[in-house]
Amino acid sequence: MKTIIKLAISSILIVSSACTDVIDVDVQTAPARLTIEASLDWEKGTLGNVQTIKLSTSTLYFGNNTSSGVTGASVKVTNNGNGSTYVFADQNNGEYTTTSFVPVLNDTYTLEVIYNNETYTATERLIPVVDISDLAQSRKKGFNDEDLEVNVIFTDPGEEENFYLFKFKKRGDLLPYLEDADDEFINGNEISWYFEKEEDESTDKIEAFVPGDIVDISFYGISEQYSNFIGILIEQSGGTGLFSSIPVPLKGNCINVDNPENYAYGYFRLTEMVKRSYTFQ
Amino acid sequence: MKNIFLTFMLFTAVTSAQESYTLSGTITDGSNGETLFGASVFLEGTTIGVTTNEYGFYSITAPQGNHTVIISYVGFTELRKGITLDRDQKMDVEILEFSTQLDEVVLTAEEPERAILRKPEMSVAKLNMKTVKQMPVVLGELDIIKSLQMLPGVTNNGEGSSGFHVRGGAADQNLVLLDEAIIYNTSHLLGFFSVFNADAIKDIKLYKGGIPARFGGRTSSVLDVRQKDGNSKNFEMTGGIGLISSRLALEGPMFKEKGSFLIAGRGSYAHLLLKAAGEDNSANFYDLNLKTNYNLNGSNQLFLSGYFGRDAFQFGESFNSSYGNLSGNLRWNHIFNDRLFSNLSLIYSKYDYDLGIVIEEFDWVSSINNYNIKYDLKYYTSENFKLDFGASGIYYDFDPGQIRPTSETSEINPLSLDRKKAFESALYINAEHKLTDKFTVQYGLRYSVFSRMGGQAMTVYAEDRPVVYNPQLDIYERGTPVGETTYGKSETIETYGNFEPRLSLAYQLNDWSSVKAGYSRAAQYIHLLSNTTSVTPLDVWTPSGEFVKPQLSDQFALGYFRNFNDKMYSMEVEAYYKTTDNRIDYIDGSDLIGTNTIETEILNGESRAYGLEFLARKNEGRFTGWFAYTFSKSEQRTPGGKAGGLGINNGKWYNTAYDRTHDFSLTGAYELNGKWSFGTNLVFQTGRPVTYPNGQYTYEGLSIASYSDRNSDRLPAYHRLDISATYRPNRKPNNRWKGEWVLGLYNVYNQKNAASISFGQNVDTGANEATRTAIFGIVPSVTYNFKF
Repeated sequence: MKTIIKLAISSILIVSSACTDVIDVDVQTAPARLTIEASLDWEKGTLGNVQTIKLSTSTLYFGNNTSSGVTGASVKVTNNGNGSTYVFADQNNGEYTTTSFVPVLNDTYTLEVIYNNETYTATERLIPVVDISDLAQSRKKGFNDEDLEVNVIFTDPGEEENFYLFKFKKRGDLLPYLEDADDEFINGNEISWYFEKEEDESTDKIEAFVPGDIVDISFYGISEQYSNFIGILIEQSGGTGLFSSIPVPLKGNCINVDNPENYAYGYFRLTEMVKRSYTFQ
Repeated sequence: MKNIFLTFMLFTAVTSAQESYTLSGTITDGSNGETLFGASVFLEGTTIGVTTNEYGFYSITAPQGNHTVIISYVGFTELRKGITLDRDQKMDVEILEFSTQLDEVVLTAEEPERAILRKPEMSVAKLNMKTVKQMPVVLGELDIIKSLQMLPGVTNNGEGSSGFHVRGGAADQNLVLLDEAIIYNTSHLLGFFSVFNADAIKDIKLYKGGIPARFGGRTSSVLDVRQKDGNSKNFEMTGGIGLISSRLALEGPMFKEKGSFLIAGRGSYAHLLLKAAGEDNSANFYDLNLKTNYNLNGSNQLFLSGYFGRDAFQFGESFNSSYGNLSGNLRWNHIFNDRLFSNLSLIYSKYDYDLGIVIEEFDWVSSINNYNIKYDLKYYTSENFKLDFGASGIYYDFDPGQIRPTSETSEINPLSLDRKKAFESALYINAEHKLTDKFTVQYGLRYSVFSRMGGQAMTVYAEDRPVVYNPQLDIYERGTPVGETTYGKSETIETYGNFEPRLSLAYQLNDWSSVKAGYSRAAQYIHLLSNTTSVTPLDVWTPSGEFVKPQLSDQFALGYFRNFNDKMYSMEVEAYYKTTDNRIDYIDGSDLIGTNTIETEILNGESRAYGLEFLARKNEGRFTGWFAYTFSKSEQRTPGGKAGGLGINNGKWYNTAYDRTHDFSLTGAYELNGKWSFGTNLVFQTGRPVTYPNGQYTYEGLSIASYSDRNSDRLPAYHRLDISATYRPNRKPNNRWKGEWVLGLYNVYNQKNAASISFGQNVDTGANEATRTAIFGIVPSVTYNFKF
């Protein structure tokens, strides 16, 4: 909703504006930080026992994109309610995996990462999500009323505040698209959340969906705090134009207890999620 | 009010000299009857003199005897008139514009723009409409705001951005008045055009500092724009036909020359700003100026003026938006006697916008309304003492936003943010006091009171903290609401009162130079909420209240003014230092859209700005123009305060988005002969502070940028050259039709000035890249202007 309003505001500029081009820019260099991508997502209908946490370090903005995986760290997650502890084993490629995780909706878990003799911790609750009731396609929604879009249909529970994350990725594309939502303006309604790939006329790099395209959809229930985090992340990764908010240093929930200044990027999230695919007709 | 009146009446009785008489009247333009604001009326061989007020009125008191009165005004022929002052008398004078008399002459007999030495008035940028008309224009429209930006201390926020910045201040710190009505948005089409139609404007004055006590409510500047009254002698039609827009103005006498009217309209041709034909997107604007006046008798005159302007955008079938200002003003000039002039104004103004999200089937509307009553008096006590005083009251009604579903099937629930109401009132008194022939002082005091009125509920927060610092995550979060206090309609939520002293001194060193100094304090009670890089027309104003404190600024300025070569050249140098308390900034990740509780998104900070301004003008001859240079700094600091923590940017000073280290501009006009004249602008300024990435990390398969400290990087420097040529074909002296062609070239060398630089991943390669958005490349324009 708010994204739409922001989009509308920036589109006013697009109407009246001119050209864009890619240029070289000198940027500052921040010291490398640990990045913790601890996304414990429990797909509806599965056991959710296999989970992976990724550790890496940040790099130069215009550097080589492949950020280096971090090995030799110790990673574990504890269920605060019953004290069960799950140790994630180092796969020596930056990934740490367990096969014995037991997800419990609304339980609170604590992550502990020890790296370079510094301990990082984070606490988060496992947030449930409603099921996707239907998927449909249409053309008239979105920026372009001729392009195809997929609609994710679900019913928002009216009795509580809900926060959602969507991930859309067309098969064959390099990058996924993330979108976040909350029920501030749509509480308790049946929602039809559409996703359209808007053609980029200036570069032709982005193409709209065509019949036969398959899009993979992930739909997550997320906490309010994570929603604040991912909302900023999404807005900032979508570019920082004239009418976007001023970009800010983004801080997640992983705290360095030994050296707070040396905080980690990334987030420890626990979600229930639904995975679907849709083939455009 | 009454007391003040009595006090100064007593004062007058004491100071009235026995052998002196008063000469008063109105100075008008002989060709069309327009009153002239700022014309000077001097007695030759003395230092007795005055400049006319906004309504062309003057009053001077001088010893009995024979005098020669010299009346002069920029661009007009100086007039000398011998008088015998042996009683109080009235003298209305008409003077003639220089160029309307002869076409080709030596351009020296007219009164040029120059440094004003004797008056304490400083930090004022006054642009004559004639000067504005000589400057090159973009898209064929004269633009007052862009012309002001050529003066020192005034900058824009880059192309594609509304508003302007004065001495390191924000766009919302400018009080913009059109015939005394507050204008909330100064531009059409995001800065492409200004809302002021040059055909309807008589006079513009920008106070960058040393703001007179009669103005208040904003901390940075006052832009005082006055509409023409309309030709009271002849019917006249002026207009222009351009590629993007056209305009037409009609004016003429009414009521048997006891009054006059002006009606002026402008419009852009829809769909012309489109990139490609066949697109559904469009942008257009129109506006209408209206003015009429009626002279009841010699001492009573009524004025009615109005403005209506609207912008409309259409983005295919998906979105549409429209916004604009509306204002109306009824004024009554009353001259009590030859020394006491008064004006009563009743003013209404409104700004609103409507954003239609067609695809989601809802409208988002917001508005600000205000009703304003003002009573201003000027008392010409004696030759050495003049007094301004008055009172004003403004009632504000803010509608920060409503969501209205446009269909039964809309998934959006209706929502109304709380309406906010407030009342701002002020009393002021200001004296212009000539202590000696060389030393003049202007001192004044304004007392303003702002009441945030009830009729709404206010959220109460745990520990009274709407924003709370989370020390573990080192972020600011919204406070926890613990209840609500409901205020009745007759209750006030919060009241603020402020004394605002104003002081300016002028010491004339000799016939050609003077030094001036000034101090002013100003309070600002309403604030524009904007956490985006650039101010948008859809930003919302909010009143001060329990959590949003009034901004308070103190400015000190010092200047040196000098004329050379018998006023052919002039030079002005000014230094200023300004601090502002309670300047809000937004916490990281703040969300202003549809937020009822603005206090959970902001922290109160402070800002400071300082700079050195230099202006050199060549005022006479075939070549005229100026060179302006400003060296300045504008910073903000936002500590955590009650919320805890160090604050935004760890409580350190950071650049504001309108900090410009260097700002250089050159404007020139060359009159080749009666047919051809040329104009040019050259601009160079330091790039706008922005925030760039300083690293990247991988998350969810995406490269995520980490960002550096707020506004610690800069866009590339902005620079541009414009030229224009005006051709006036031969005309027969008796032909009333006068036409001219204006050919313009904006951004001659097609510099792609970055309006913004955006960072993101290339979707094919995944590599990070920086994308520049430039708004204007080279823009040619052709306009045909006519006058009949």
